[in-house]
Parts: sequence; C-alpha cells; structure tokens
Amino acid sequence: MIAVVGLVLGIVAGLLLQPSVPATLQPYLPIAVVAALDAVFGGLRAYFDGIFDDKVFVVSFVSNVFIAAVIVYLGDQLGVGGQLSTGVIVVLGIRIFSNVAAIRRHLFHA
Amino acid sequence: MSSLSSGRGPDAPHPPSDQEGRYVSLLTQVMSQPLDRDYQVVAQRRARGAAGSVVEGASIPADDEVKQRSLSITTIAALAVFGVMVGVSALQTERDAPVVRAERSELIEQIRERQSAFAALQGDLNDLTDDVTELQAEVAGDVQGLGTVTRRLDDLGVAAGTVSAVGPGITITVDDAAPASPGSGGVILASDLRLLVNGLWEAGAEAIAIDGHRLTSLTAIRFAGEAITVDYRSLTTPYVVTVIGDVDTLAARFNETDAGQAWIALEVNFGIGFAVTSSDELEVPGDPQERLRHARPREAE
Repeated sequence: MIAVVGLVLGIVAGLLLQPSVPATLQPYLPIAVVAALDAVFGGLRAYFDGIFDDKVFVVSFVSNVFIAAVIVYLGDQLGVGGQLSTGVIVVLGIRIFSNVAAIRRHLFHA
Repeated sequence: MSSLSSGRGPDAPHPPSDQEGRYVSLLTQVMSQPLDRDYQVVAQRRARGAAGSVVEGASIPADDEVKQRSLSITTIAALAVFGVMVGVSALQTERDAPVVRAERSELIEQIRERQSAFAALQGDLNDLTDDVTELQAEVAGDVQGLGTVTRRLDDLGVAAGTVSAVGPGITITVDDAAPASPGSGGVILASDLRLLVNGLWEAGAEAIAIDGHRLTSLTAIRFAGEAITVDYRSLTTPYVVTVIGDVDTLAARFNETDAGQAWIALEVNFGIGFAVTSSDELEVPGDPQERLRHARPREAE
C-alpha cells in the first residue's frame, strides 16, 4: 500500500515539478521507463510469490534502467540505436508479460 | 551488487543453463525465468538464516525487521523515482505531440499546396496545348494563304514583267533590208518596232522581250541617233523579238491586226526581213527594275 502511495507521489511530483531532462538524456528516458517497468513488475511478482526483497528490487531497478540506457546509447554510437531499442523492448516486453501472467495467477487463481 | 554476485555462488548457475546445467535457448530462458533469480536466491538464504536464528535466539528477527523497514524506504524511493520517470516521460511525449502534430499538418499542407500547384500547372499545360493547336491551325491557314499570295504575286509579276517567264511562244526576227534592195526606206524605225510590239500585245502576247530586254509598261522604244534603243540600251540588227503566248493563234491573230498588215506592207514594199519561228519552250528575262519608284499602293483606311 505504501509502495503504491510512493508511486503515485512520484508521478504527481513528476507532473507538477516538470523537472527538465537534459537533452542528451531525453532519447533514453522511454527505454529506461520500460526497463524500470520490468523491474517493478518483477518486484510485484516476487511480492506475490512471497520472496520480495528490498535490496534485490532496488538493485535490479537501478541496474535495469542503467543497462537499458547504456545499451541504447551504445547502439546510437554504433548507428543501430533503433534496432537495439527494439531488441531491448522485445526482451523486456516478454519478461513483463510473463511476470504479469504470474501476478494474474496469484490474484485470480487462474 | 557484489554481495548478490557472491550470493549467487553454486546454487545459482549462470544462464543460459537450466537447473540441471542443460543448455537452453536465450528466448526460452527469458520466457521461463522472467523473474530475477536473485529473489529466489535471497529468499533461500533467508530461509536458511531463519532456520539458524531459531536456534540462536530472538535478536536476529528484530535486526531483520529494522533492515526490512530501512530498505522499504529505498523501495519507496525507487518507486517514486519510477513515478517521476513515468510522469516526465509522459509529459515529454505530451509536450512533443503538438510539435509532431504541427509538423504533420504542415506536411499535409505542403502536399496540398504542391498538389494544387501541380493541378494549376496541368491546367496551364492544357491551355498551352490548346494554344499550340490553335496557332498550328492558324499557321497552316497562313501557309495556304501565303501559297495563294505567292501564286498571285507570280502571276502579277509575269504580267508586269518584273519576273522572268517561260512558256511556249514564237520568236520573230526582223532585220533591215539588204542595201541593194530598192527604195531608201529599208531601215526599221523605232515606230515600226513599237507597232510590232503593240500588235503582238493585241494578238494576245503575255510576255515580250526584244534582244533579251523585257518589255514592261515603262519600257521605251526610241531612236537615239542612228540606233534603236529599248529600255535605253542600243540594239543592233537583227532584232529578235521573243513572245510568249498561244503558239497556235499568236502569229495568225497578229497578221489580222493593223500592225500585222503594216508589217506585211513593209516586208513587201521595202524588203524588210520578217521571220517567225514557234517553239514550245521560250524564256524571257525579268525587267531589272533599275528605276526609282515613287508610287506605292494607297493603303486602305
């Protein structure tokens, strides 16, 4: 519950404060959001599995965001940024779908 | 992270291998293990720790609880960061949307503009094609008209004597009488030649030249001292008169005229030579028109 409050607080803060993102980082924000989404759903599933761990969650969150951004940055430097973004999103998307399926099984027992 | 890495150890084999160490494809691995294995590893370790703590005493769960709460703050912080990221990302997309929309509408507008320009040009092209067709028809008409005018100019030129002419006709060769012949009048006078020419015109001649000098309405046949001049050029006997006209009737009709009768009289009485030959193809030159002209057609007003 308190986690949801934190999430909502963050969204509201982001919308209200409108922190300016440096122009160089702007292309990596969407992919970072997708990576963070993967970490969040992973944590949620772990919570339902009863094996949630704060440290693992925070580390996976930070490393996910960082690695996704770095991969896309590398791809941009190599001229395959678009393709690498697609690859990252496909892998993360599969993971998100699988985790959400597990969460659904926990919630609805179906 | 370092503690986690060390924690993996032997019970967390690196992908892509399943628990029994068999190789599995990357996609299968991604699909079958969407959850970070770290959660399971940590859970297992904690389970082991909990089992140990039951034996040791109650102090460890309390410590664990403190750790849990302190980490809970980091979790909430991470979630808040995630929320900020989502919010900023959404805001950014929202902020970019008008720009994208403006670009899109501008492109659409440009396409419309170019299309209308293209249509206008197409219309111009059609108009110009029509103009070209019209002008071509006009030119064709002009060419026909030009042909008519040219033909008429040729006809008029032949009649006026300004252009050379060819055609069937007769050649009349007249000469002074031989010196031994009787009488003193055996010399052709300019008036005789004028009479001859006028008779020929009357007989239906279309073009006449004397010794290669084309006769026009302005050509004078006169005496200058002893010699006859035509067009102000002295001639010597015999005088050759080239006449273009109807071969069949020209000579006969000339004989019927007063001039023809007079010339028969000259021939008989004074022994002046008069010989007529007809041919199918004669040529008379055009008048060189060496005079200045002052008269010009009166223009219609």
